[in-house]
Amino acid sequence: MASKEEIIAKAQESITEFDADMAGEAAKEALAADIDPVELIEKGFTAGMQIVGEKFEQGSLFLPHVLAAAEAMNSGINVIKPEMEKRKSKTESKGIVMIGTIEGDIHSIGKDIVSSMLSIGGFDVIDLGRDVAVSTFVEKVKEMKPDVVASSALMTTTMVTQIQLEEQLKEAGIRDQVKTMIGGAPCTQDWADQIGADIYGESATDAVNKVKEVLL
Amino acid sequence: MAIDYALRMGDGKKIFLSKDQLLEEIEAGSADAADLGEIPSLSGDELAKLSEILMMPGKTVSVEQGMEVPVTHDIGTLRIDGDQGNSGVGIPSSRLVGCMMHERAFGSDTMELGHIDYSYKPVKPVVANECQAMEVCQQNMIVPMLYGAMPNMGLYYTPDGPFENPGDLMKAFKIQEAWESMEHAAEHLTRDTVWVMQRLFASGADGINFDTTGAAGDADMYGTLHAIEALRKEFPNIYIEAGMAGECVLGMNGQLEYDGKTLAGLWPHEQAPLIEKAGENVFGPVCNTNTSKTSAWNLARAVTFMKAAVKASNIPCHVDMGMGVGGIPMLETPPIDAVTRASKAMVEIAGVDGI
Ligand code: B12
Repeated sequence: MASKEEIIAKAQESITEFDADMAGEAAKEALAADIDPVELIEKGFTAGMQIVGEKFEQGSLFLPHVLAAAEAMNSGINVIKPEMEKRKSKTESKGIVMIGTIEGDIHSIGKDIVSSMLSIGGFDVIDLGRDVAVSTFVEKVKEMKPDVVASSALMTTTMVTQIQLEEQLKEAGIRDQVKTMIGGAPCTQDWADQIGADIYGESATDAVNKVKEVLL
Repeated sequence: MAIDYALRMGDGKKIFLSKDQLLEEIEAGSADAADLGEIPSLSGDELAKLSEILMMPGKTVSVEQGMEVPVTHDIGTLRIDGDQGNSGVGIPSSRLVGCMMHERAFGSDTMELGHIDYSYKPVKPVVANECQAMEVCQQNMIVPMLYGAMPNMGLYYTPDGPFENPGDLMKAFKIQEAWESMEHAAEHLTRDTVWVMQRLFASGADGINFDTTGAAGDADMYGTLHAIEALRKEFPNIYIEAGMAGECVLGMNGQLEYDGKTLAGLWPHEQAPLIEKAGENVFGPVCNTNTSKTSAWNLARAVTFMKAAVKASNIPCHVDMGMGVGGIPMLETPPIDAVTRASKAMVEIAGVDGI
């Protein structure tokens, strides 16, 4: 039988090789060898995901690869889920992030990447789409109570509408119930500070890391 | 007392840096490009020259005499009339007036006719209008008149087009379907561009400009390269120009290749040979501005990338210079101090053939 180190290495490799079958096998072997599922996830699958994430950031792997890696991770996790539930180390959702491109702006490519990376990172993502009215953001926040509401603006002419989002959340009396996050090429940390947004994310990975910092 | 030099942040905000800070910024900017693109960073002499340009006392600067380069315009036709947040000035005028002003008053060396929707797909139903406008421009003007628009492959996906949106498919982990959708869209993109241009060449266009190539990622670039190839075959003597959407080709597909090279993740110096191979006459490389960094950092980075692209390219490189690209801040009216410094550095250090 394979050693614990070998099984964990295999789990990691299954992610970096985007191999869902291998991930499932590694998970089964881990169960048979009585390895703690949390350890398998952290040192195996998540460590593999970390490598894939770094390569994505460097530009040597691309979004479909990250998705394929996430898919492999899901097959592995599905195998160990029953065991985890027994041990009560439940994999809860890390939080809900609502995202959309701000009113008047139809640029969606960057927003889509951010939303995919957030769901890969374990967050439940509610994607409101593009050209989303400020009033819609506010209504949906009331209705769905996300932990973070994120707006993307790709134009200097639409980023100003992010101020209105801050204000209308205040007017609706729900600003303190939700963290706001902004991003998109013209936005900066300075801009976030100026308008009172809680989080500024420069890239998709930066957004995931910062949401983790705030929520976890 | 140390003298501080007036510079900009990438979002246009005015800042003041000491000479030492300025030198640190340009070294770091150049190193960032060198690291990402695996290309040489600027030499000591080049960094010194760049710092000189940035520290020049005048509000505007210019290239040295004898170093002037051609200036071409993309959607400039609409720059006078339009005002959509992209540096338009909103003065009511026809497209002919816009083109002629660029030729006769602003000294453009080539001009481009473009439609307000500015993508090839929506030009299809109004192509007769475009042909008419091209003919009138040609009758009144001397400089080469290109026809231009964006490949904008996003228009082939739902809700704007027939193929399922790969963004939605990928979010549902349907990677295979997403890939297929992109490949179908690329075929349509090639077909539409060729169809539109067959008509415009019949109306006397001197060439075509593919503006913001790769905006929807690697499949957008794939479709464009095939369109260039098809046009070159059918029209051996026309003038073909392709400008990029960004510095790095986004890997929305990740596996599409051209001439045996994976398109995703290519930097300007790697894009140039492929564009040339497809049959281009002029390449428009791009370097994006980071709004959170200084203009010194951004310009050094942009010059480093462009220098490598010029070196790798046998065809002329006309660098994209405008709001948010080419070391220029991201502002509707790009500040003239930053624009002229960036232009001078591109010509004198990166050695670009045109702007
Ligand atoms: C692709 C593109 C388009 C496509 C968009 C397709 C689509 N479905 O998204 C099309 C062709 C439709 C388009 C249209 C227009 N565009 Co446009 N477009 C671009 C372009 C070339 C690239 C943008 C892009 O997708 N980048 C790639 C992605 C991955 O990067 P990103 O969006 O920055 O996202 C990253 C980060 O910013 C961050 N991020 C993004 N969103 C968020 C959100 C959060 C919450 C967080 C934390 C992080 C985050 O993470 C992402 C991944 O790392 C830019 C120029 C450029 N090179 O940047 C112009 C640009 C943005 N467009 C511009 C303009 C003017 C327009 C038009 C008005 C043009 C016109 N005259 O018709 C229209 C807009 C109409 C409208 N009402 O919105 C201008 C904006 C100028 C300004 N005032 O600021 C630009 C800068 C070009 C220019 N210099 O003129 N465009």
